[in-house]
This record gives sequence, C-alpha cells and structure tokens, in this order.
Amino acid sequence: MSHLLRFLIVLLPIVVLIFFAKILLIDEEIQLSNYDLKNFPEFQLNDLNGNPVQSDSLKGIKVLNVWASWCITCLVEHPFLTKLSEQNIQIIGLNYKDSDLKANAWLKKHGNPYLFSIYDPRGDLAFELGVTGAPESYLIVNNQVLGHIQGEMDQRKWDTIFLPLIQKAKQGS
Amino acid sequence: MIIKKLLTFVLFILLSTPAFNQMVYEFEDPLQEKRFYSLISEIRCPKCTSGSIASSDVPVSRDIKNKVYELVLDGSTDKEIKTYVSERFGDFSDYRPAFEGSNYLLWFGPFIFLALMLIIFFIKRRV
Repeated sequence: MSHLLRFLIVLLPIVVLIFFAKILLIDEEIQLSNYDLKNFPEFQLNDLNGNPVQSDSLKGIKVLNVWASWCITCLVEHPFLTKLSEQNIQIIGLNYKDSDLKANAWLKKHGNPYLFSIYDPRGDLAFELGVTGAPESYLIVNNQVLGHIQGEMDQRKWDTIFLPLIQKAKQGS
Repeated sequence: MIIKKLLTFVLFILLSTPAFNQMVYEFEDPLQEKRFYSLISEIRCPKCTSGSIASSDVPVSRDIKNKVYELVLDGSTDKEIKTYVSERFGDFSDYRPAFEGSNYLLWFGPFIFLALMLIIFFIKRRV
C-alpha cells in the first residue's frame, strides 16, 4: 500500500504539471485560427465599385482579408499581402466600417492586392464572420471557412497557419 | 480665480465624457432589461484580455451589445443568444462554459482533484 502511495505522490504532481504546461504553452494565435469547418455566411453586398458580389466568387482557395483605410496595422501588413498576390494567391478584401471614397483612395495610393473588395460599411458580414477588428484574415476553400488569423498577417503566420491548411485542402480535392 | 475656473473646466471634461460613450438601451419590459444586463455581463469581450462586453466600449463589444439587445427584444431565449454569439466569436465568448463535451473537465476537474487528494490523505493516515 505504501508503495502505491509513494508512487501516487510522485506521479500526481507530474501529471498535473504536464497538463497545465500543455495548456499554457499552446500558441494562442494558432489556437484561435483553428476554426471548425463552417460555411461562409450568406450575404448581399456590393464591391467597392458598386457591383453586387456573386456568391460563387468564394469558390476555390481564397484569402479574405478584413481591412479599412482608417486601420494602421492594415498598412503594415499591406506589403506582405501584395507579395502574396504576386505569388498568385487570390485575396479578396472585406472593407470594414469604412467609406467607399476613402477606401478607393487608399487602394489607389498604396496599391491593390485584392481581386475585389466587398464593401461592408456597417460591418454586417464581418459580424457574421466573428471579426473583432481590422486586420483579420480568413482562409476560405469552396465557400467554407477553414482558417482565421487575427491581427497582422506576416510570413510566420502564413507559413504556420494558412499554408498547411492550403496544402491539406489541395490534397483533399 | 483662474485656477478655480480651470479646475471646474477639467472636472467638467472628466465627468462629462462617460455620458457621450454610454449607449442607452430602453426596455418596456423590466424582465427583458434584467436579462439583457445579465447576458452582457456573461459574454466576454473578444478584444479584451479579460472583461465582459458590459464593461467594454470597443466597437466589437458595442456591436455585440446591440445585437443582444435586438435579440432580447425579438424574444430569443438566453441560450439562443449565447449560442448565436459563440457561433460567431467562439466558445471563448461565454464566461459560463456550456455543460458539455471537453468542458466537463473544466466543471468536474477541481472536484476530481479534490477527491484524489482526499483519498490519498485517508490512505496515508491509515498507513
């Protein structure tokens, strides 16, 4: 009996320690990005040029980037998005709580890495997607949200979060 | 005299700003009002390290509060409203984790731990 007891006294704290260490050491960014497979919400919005956005524009592998002309961090990640678009990654913008005039002027000034930008001045679609602020990025494969990054997109987040999901999606199809 | 005027001005500025920030939610039914305020204190602000949307004035918290207000007036139940929010902002948004799945560990974990400790304690005493 005392053997069992000694064994337990040593083992229990170790188990508890490993348990909490595991929880604490999870990288929060990655944890947040692990979306359950869910369908992209229905929406009826125009793009920044005033044309209605077709629902089949979210087929294939797309990155949806939430941005606004008032958002400073969006400007920080802008060169990286431009680099991605030059590598033929298809990026769609979700212009969030902005005015189309300011947004179009911003794109003209800084360059436009987006195929097009969905104009969401009240943030309705963004709310459905669980956007908490700009910038945020979503990985969408055939109308389904597979990944989510909050904050600035950079090479590290791209490589560790979206790229593996894209490779998995390509293997699956 | 100037100092007194300046002080009055500073106090005026300091005390008047909250009035501009507070959104007023009006209810005809006091029960709905009670439910609204209890719900917003149980939904976590997605932009804050720790705080409910009731205590936060960041834009996304304001959006969620407006939506909760709308849903309460529409007659949705508390559970429906919490599900609505957590579907969009994750389980993280609920300050009272649902009683299901992996959350059992969260609810029962401390009791299991306590039970284990008590068992060890009594075994040790017998030895």
